[in-house]
Amino acid sequence: MKKSVGIMMCVFLLCTGPLSAAEVKVGSNTPLSGKLSVYGEGFQQAMLLALEEVNAGGGIKGRPMQIVFEDNNSTAAGAVSAIQKLITVDKLPLIFGPAASSNFLAVCPIAQQNKTVLIAAESAAAEISKCGSFVFRVFPSDALQGIGVAELTQSLKYDQVVLTYINNDWGVGLAEIFKKKFTAAGGKILDEFAHDEGKTDYRSEVLRIRKSNPKAVVNLTYIKEGATVLKQAYENGLKVQWLMGSASKSPKLVELAGEAAEGVIGTYPTFSQETPQYKAFKAAWDKKYPDKKIPVFGEYNYDMVKLTAKALGMAKSMDPDDLRQAMIDAGKGYMGVTGDKTFDENGDVGAVYGRWTVKQQEIQDFK
Amino acid sequence: MDYLLHVMILALIYSVFAMSLNLELGYAGLYNFGHVAFFGIGAYVSALLSQAGVPVSAAMLCALAAAGIAGAVLAVPALRVSGDYFGIATLVFAEMFRLICLNERWLTKGPMGLPGIPRPAWIAPGVDGMPAYLLFTFLAAVGTFVFIRRLTGSPFGRALRVIREDEHMAQAFGKNILLFKVKAIVAGSVLAGWAGTLWAHYISYISPADFTLTETMLVLLCVVLGGRGTNWGPVVGAIAVVFFGEAVRFLPIPQALTRYVAPLQGIIYGGILVVIMMKMPNGLIPEYRRKNT
Amino acid sequence: MSYYLQLLLNGVIAGAVYALFAVGLTLVYGVFRFINFAHAELISWGAYLALMFSSPPVSLPLYLAVIPAIVLTAVIGLSQDWFIYRPLRRGSPITLLIASIGLSYMLRNVLRLIWGSDLMTFSLPPARAFEFSGYYVTGIQLLMLASALLFLMILYLLLTKSLIGKSLRATADNLELAAIMGVSMPKVSAVVWTLASVFAAAGGILLALDTNLEPMMGGANLIKAFAAVLLGGAGNVWGALLGGLFIGIAENLSVAFFSPGYKDFVSFAVIFLLLLFRPRGIFGLLTGVR
Repeated sequence: MKKSVGIMMCVFLLCTGPLSAAEVKVGSNTPLSGKLSVYGEGFQQAMLLALEEVNAGGGIKGRPMQIVFEDNNSTAAGAVSAIQKLITVDKLPLIFGPAASSNFLAVCPIAQQNKTVLIAAESAAAEISKCGSFVFRVFPSDALQGIGVAELTQSLKYDQVVLTYINNDWGVGLAEIFKKKFTAAGGKILDEFAHDEGKTDYRSEVLRIRKSNPKAVVNLTYIKEGATVLKQAYENGLKVQWLMGSASKSPKLVELAGEAAEGVIGTYPTFSQETPQYKAFKAAWDKKYPDKKIPVFGEYNYDMVKLTAKALGMAKSMDPDDLRQAMIDAGKGYMGVTGDKTFDENGDVGAVYGRWTVKQQEIQDFK
Repeated sequence: MDYLLHVMILALIYSVFAMSLNLELGYAGLYNFGHVAFFGIGAYVSALLSQAGVPVSAAMLCALAAAGIAGAVLAVPALRVSGDYFGIATLVFAEMFRLICLNERWLTKGPMGLPGIPRPAWIAPGVDGMPAYLLFTFLAAVGTFVFIRRLTGSPFGRALRVIREDEHMAQAFGKNILLFKVKAIVAGSVLAGWAGTLWAHYISYISPADFTLTETMLVLLCVVLGGRGTNWGPVVGAIAVVFFGEAVRFLPIPQALTRYVAPLQGIIYGGILVVIMMKMPNGLIPEYRRKNT
Repeated sequence: MSYYLQLLLNGVIAGAVYALFAVGLTLVYGVFRFINFAHAELISWGAYLALMFSSPPVSLPLYLAVIPAIVLTAVIGLSQDWFIYRPLRRGSPITLLIASIGLSYMLRNVLRLIWGSDLMTFSLPPARAFEFSGYYVTGIQLLMLASALLFLMILYLLLTKSLIGKSLRATADNLELAAIMGVSMPKVSAVVWTLASVFAAAGGILLALDTNLEPMMGGANLIKAFAAVLLGGAGNVWGALLGGLFIGIAENLSVAFFSPGYKDFVSFAVIFLLLLFRPRGIFGLLTGVR
């Protein structure tokens, strides 16, 4: 036993070679395996595109930037383990946070305690605004989207709905905000319940919806779960207007649910595709990844890396407080691909919410 | 260096957990496949209490008590059946516990879990506190080891082994089998809860996903690999399993293949269980049979 | 009222599939006296293999793809026995149990290795259900019911009319005596494992058609199958059938009273309570208590 521990230690020490003083390293807590890996791949590609551009432009004050990717297996425990490695072994002062609000919230306290700057590009839960001074995000909080969904519902003249949401931080948080706004404006919620992630069978939930006989259902959920619910509802003859959130907006939803997704209407944080920033991004993407569509959240990940590079360039040193201040300064008025990235006092950014729909098996903007 | 501390802390926590299972499985012959529930009860009770403001030491003690009581509550009815049925009953108990944690959001925050669990007051948060925490878990592991060694060396321990080998003979000697088994389970549950509190306050985040059948399988692997019915066995097993699990992070795996790592690890774990059952059912450290057992 | 009847209907159909799983599990238990945790993987592998054969490069139409899928699953089941359980049969029963836990974990991770942990589907277009005076039943659900009936009928004929079936029952009754009377153990073994695998695979494919595929699908259903086995008394095939129906119905009706998140809880509670109060089951005579 002692021998094997000794061998392990030697291997360990050999693997962690001398830190390269020339590069500026940051960490990324990414779902490269597990149920979010299909998104994680896209995030990584977008980040690498941005990284390439940063380094082609001279890097950070002449030094190349490097991103150390650590797989979190799409779980909260994995995210915790990954961030511990990034902080304790690689000693990185800035980390791109894990996707999925629940995973992000699990690592927030660790980053805050260790004064490591943590940035999110996909996490929408309103809770994140309270994470602390070292936490930023380039993706808007759901506090805004909840209002958007309520307004959508009312503008379509549905004042009695059934509400169902995915059983995690994102779904619960968004549902709360929707409820508050919707009922304050006179809307009535006939029934509400959470549905679990990753189930193959949501028929019980569909039946429960049918019990209240609603005309519209607000379904705040992810892509796979959403598709399954839509499909099983369709099969069981449930005909309602589905109102969904941004997490379901994806061609994959249509791919999985087919006919059942037709007519769904939802909200999402919009950014114009006509700006010079967006056009430049699209051109660069098509050049580097010619056969791939821009992945969901790809633009946000790109902005996150570019903004971070700017902040690193502006920072007086790599001390936590200097880095933090640099992030705030860099964000002021920064126009990224996804719009204005000025951070408010909670490290959040603003957003405009648009509407999407599925028409003829395609995701389109809803007028 | 800090990462090595991290892995050692995990290994020590797991060895407490494995030793506690071994008390029931190796010494008393009770196949408690639901052991992870007590780990979870310890973790949740301590986490919830300390987040509500109770000082961590007090929260830990309450958690130990809760785990022990839960153990008794499970033991009395579950011991009506034995052998593999007992295994199933305990396994199902653990799953029921997990479902309750998952659904009772008002209590446990459901699948979102409990982030930001505080460290004990005398240990600093974050990376700075790691050496102190390592000392803490080391003392805990040593304490558990000594406690179990004394317990199993005592008449109580010998009686357990007799019960394990042949219940009827034990009955013939006038032992109240049920009471012995219940005591063994309560002791094992308290220690498992202890491991759970150590885990919760170290990782600072727990959720029902930490207490699944996979964890049951892992701790079973620790005990079976190391050798049941011995004291060093589960410790060796825990160290081996934890180091293997974490060491993989340092292998230079090309980006395209990272998604294969976790399933491959799983295959190896399962495979080891099977191979051990077939070739070395007594594990790496066989039970040493003393002449006057 | 129609809400409850619809739930009952869903329950009967779900129960028919659970019955398939339970029957396989109880056959193995009846003859070999241990709970095979890896039975769960026979379910998942059956479904995933059907997916494999119906996707490129083989791209068979689904109704043809099920044939090699079921055959291969039977091979897996037989190999489980041949390579692992047979050598261990002389050992302690707990060794078998732990080995089956390890094997189950291994097979599940091989599945994950090949297909990943994500949800997969057979990509059939969604089709509206048939409506009968307010009650809905999909085509797939009817298929599930019909297939389950068919399989169980074949099993009945096999067990009662054929020689091998009688040998099987003899072995379940008394292993040593059956061997002494000249019943061929290897042959009975092979038949049991083949039957168990075929039923598991068929049920798995039906489930996947009805909902989706994911690596844990076998494990989740194994617990329910086990609850059914216990209800009927371990080793009792008809008990397992009735047990399966009961679990399906109980589960679905429970949704009317509890949150859908607790649906699985029903099977767990059934198992727990039964083990505590009636380990011999409601219908059964055999015991599994050691």
